[in-house]
Amino acid sequence: MGIRAILARLAHTAPIPVFPVTGADAIDAVRDLRLRPEIELVSTPRHASVLLVAGNFGVNPVPGLALVHDQMPLPRVTVHWKGEIADDAHGQVVSGDEANLVEKLSALDREILVAPGLSDPATLPDVDPVDWRGVGPYGHGGKGMTGGTPFGRPLAERAPDRDGIELDQLPVTIGPWVGALPPGLQLRVKFQGDVIQEVEVVPAFASTRPDNVFVAALHTPTAVAILELERARHHLRWLADALTFHGLPALGLWALRLAHDLGPQDRTEVEDLLKSLRRSWVITMVLSRIDGALDGSLGAGSGPLARAAGLEDDARLDDPVYQALDFQPILGGTGGPAAWWRQRMAEIVQSLDLSIRAGDMTAFGRGSVEGPRGRLHADNPDASTSLELLPGLIAGLEWGDAASVIWSLDIDPFARMDVEVPAGMET
Amino acid sequence: MNPLASVALVGIVLIVSVYLVAVIDAALGLRVSHERRYAGVWMVPVAGAARLALQRRSLTERPDREAWALAPPLLAGLAAVALTAIPLAPGVGIADIRAGIVLFGAAMMQVMVAVFLHGWGSNSVFPLFGAFRMAAAGLSMGIPFSLVLITTALPAESLSVGTIIASQEGLWNVLRQPLGLPVFLITALAFSFWGPMNLPDGGDLAGGTAVEASGIPFLVWRIARVAVLVALAAMGAAAFLGGYLGPWLPGWLWMIVKTMVLATLMIWSGHRFARMRIESVVLFGWTLLLPIALVDVFVSGALTL
Amino acid sequence: MTALGSALVVFLAAVLAAGVVRWVGDVLNPLTLTVPERVPFAGGSPPEYHAWNRFHIRWYTMALLFLAFDMEMVFMYPWAVVFVREGLISLVEMLMFILILVVGIVYTWRERGFEWA
Repeated sequence: MGIRAILARLAHTAPIPVFPVTGADAIDAVRDLRLRPEIELVSTPRHASVLLVAGNFGVNPVPGLALVHDQMPLPRVTVHWKGEIADDAHGQVVSGDEANLVEKLSALDREILVAPGLSDPATLPDVDPVDWRGVGPYGHGGKGMTGGTPFGRPLAERAPDRDGIELDQLPVTIGPWVGALPPGLQLRVKFQGDVIQEVEVVPAFASTRPDNVFVAALHTPTAVAILELERARHHLRWLADALTFHGLPALGLWALRLAHDLGPQDRTEVEDLLKSLRRSWVITMVLSRIDGALDGSLGAGSGPLARAAGLEDDARLDDPVYQALDFQPILGGTGGPAAWWRQRMAEIVQSLDLSIRAGDMTAFGRGSVEGPRGRLHADNPDASTSLELLPGLIAGLEWGDAASVIWSLDIDPFARMDVEVPAGMET
Repeated sequence: MNPLASVALVGIVLIVSVYLVAVIDAALGLRVSHERRYAGVWMVPVAGAARLALQRRSLTERPDREAWALAPPLLAGLAAVALTAIPLAPGVGIADIRAGIVLFGAAMMQVMVAVFLHGWGSNSVFPLFGAFRMAAAGLSMGIPFSLVLITTALPAESLSVGTIIASQEGLWNVLRQPLGLPVFLITALAFSFWGPMNLPDGGDLAGGTAVEASGIPFLVWRIARVAVLVALAAMGAAAFLGGYLGPWLPGWLWMIVKTMVLATLMIWSGHRFARMRIESVVLFGWTLLLPIALVDVFVSGALTL
Repeated sequence: MTALGSALVVFLAAVLAAGVVRWVGDVLNPLTLTVPERVPFAGGSPPEYHAWNRFHIRWYTMALLFLAFDMEMVFMYPWAVVFVREGLISLVEMLMFILILVVGIVYTWRERGFEWA
């Protein structure tokens, strides 16, 4: 149709909405796609035209992937990037770097806008898992309505809540690919209203860990400047995600731009960014007030979380090279989401300063290196204990506050490896 | 006014303003993120609309079809009705009735209902949370909103927006009642759920009430939401900045300039401030904004006498 | 046509326009959905229950307070119109009315009625 062609040409100039499904080794690459004006990363597949499956997942089929694919409205297409795909997976494979990906996506987008019939068909079978049809003219009545499963699915069961009331408690499995949580994190939550009553982290599937400057530093001596710049970059990338979550996407893009080629010359710009962050009141209005809702069970955590709570837990203290640089870890007071943010913001500036002062000096690994999330040991390169802290922290919080706390923890959802995918988790 | 002419007027005003607001939003976003390239910002709203027009709309398993389908048109209708209460130029008032403020306030409170229907209809968890959040935010922000508008009616001795504009011949209300405009803008952000008050459609709900929306219904929803912002900015311009009054330029041009200034202020706040927690919105609406609005009413009342 | 009649026409025209645009969208993009395409989005996991539930609206006490203030608003609308004519006495009377209601706000605040969770 003529009108379709005209609209398609116009629509092609808009950014392509992409819903990312990201494995551990492609998180940074996918995050960098935000800087591309041709692409827009969306938080729900209903707004997307392209499903970008990036990275390696270690399991086949990838949990949730088929359902997320089918939830995309036409025109839709699947693209695999930076990973090996199984033989039975459909969709296009794109190799190479970001520029190649954007080019291929643009070509695909032009095709499917004009001819949506070229879109991927639905992958899951068209069978109603909860088939229920009533007898009345509006689909009501008949067996099953009064049996507790109206229109196929049951209604939530009642449970006691505060105020002495017994209202419904809704069990939901959220994730692993929801824009509100870090990619890969899957939670089984029981809601009463929108307040979390019970929460359980569904064990992650084994995903290939990315190559890491800090893990490499466990074995080979690495320059202090490189380590510290990478640490600052990690925190800036975390900041980009956390700011986007908190409703400041433009500031998040600025942080991401800074993280891209961070160098000593960016110090003033980093300080401007942190000043804008403070003026946005995200810490004073949002995070500090969540502290009040947390009942004090903050746990110790590792790395910046521990230091924000006042614990002197830093592998760099044992390193004579850092001692020669007069390194003093920044210590906070009580911990909590606001303190964690302040800690990481201060550590960005501290790392930039160290990288300038260090010059050519090389750090001594000595079996333990301070990674951006905590101490790394040679026999256990995974540094994070935040996943264990998670259920204790967010039970009892309202959903928005809980998601804020999750982002403030800087969680690595793939940190728990060697756990089998429980049966029934694949969809 | 002739009904056909009114429909045309409101239609043109809304379409042009929504386009301008979308462009300003895109440009401000680029500026705050330190992006240097602004080319193509003029096409952003049109291209985005074309893309949504070519996308199929979504259905969920067991939706409340009528409620879900009604919500975007209802929001659009409410924005249009709210705009009719405001005279856009001397003598050009579609529904400049003696109780114009009441008509405007009623339309804005129904925005709460429209957002709730949008969240309720899809029978999905995140939209439902967004719906209930909007209900709480609307209730908390509704009273300060109405109170500051009533304060502007005090010197005018009338609830009609045209008379309120006329009463600002000597001095604009923003100077006569300085507490009014800031409170109005904050509550306007809440009713158009924008920026720091974007609780029903926010990022922590992965898109909130619009999670299951796609295609044309989603496009209408986004346009209607910006239209509500424009209507609120126009009311702010009329009640606080003197509407179409002003030297040298014709009245309608002043109205456009003042509306765009307030709309830009609201959009800028979206890029500048983080999204508030729903508990904070409820708490501050009742314990901070309401007392400020009350002080505004009584101090302005005493000064008016 | 009366002013409110014009407003009603504008309202219906906006609703109708949005409805027509929706119909045009359905013509451009025909709706044929399989069952999995209709599953509500929660990150890739299918739902077990309907999302509709007896949602605990924890702020129902705040809603009652809103009702009280809404009734006060009903009285303030005509009060604003006759205010200048009636003079200082009307200011004092409305002030007394409001102060009684403000006690309600303070009470709700102390009783944690504005808290969410």
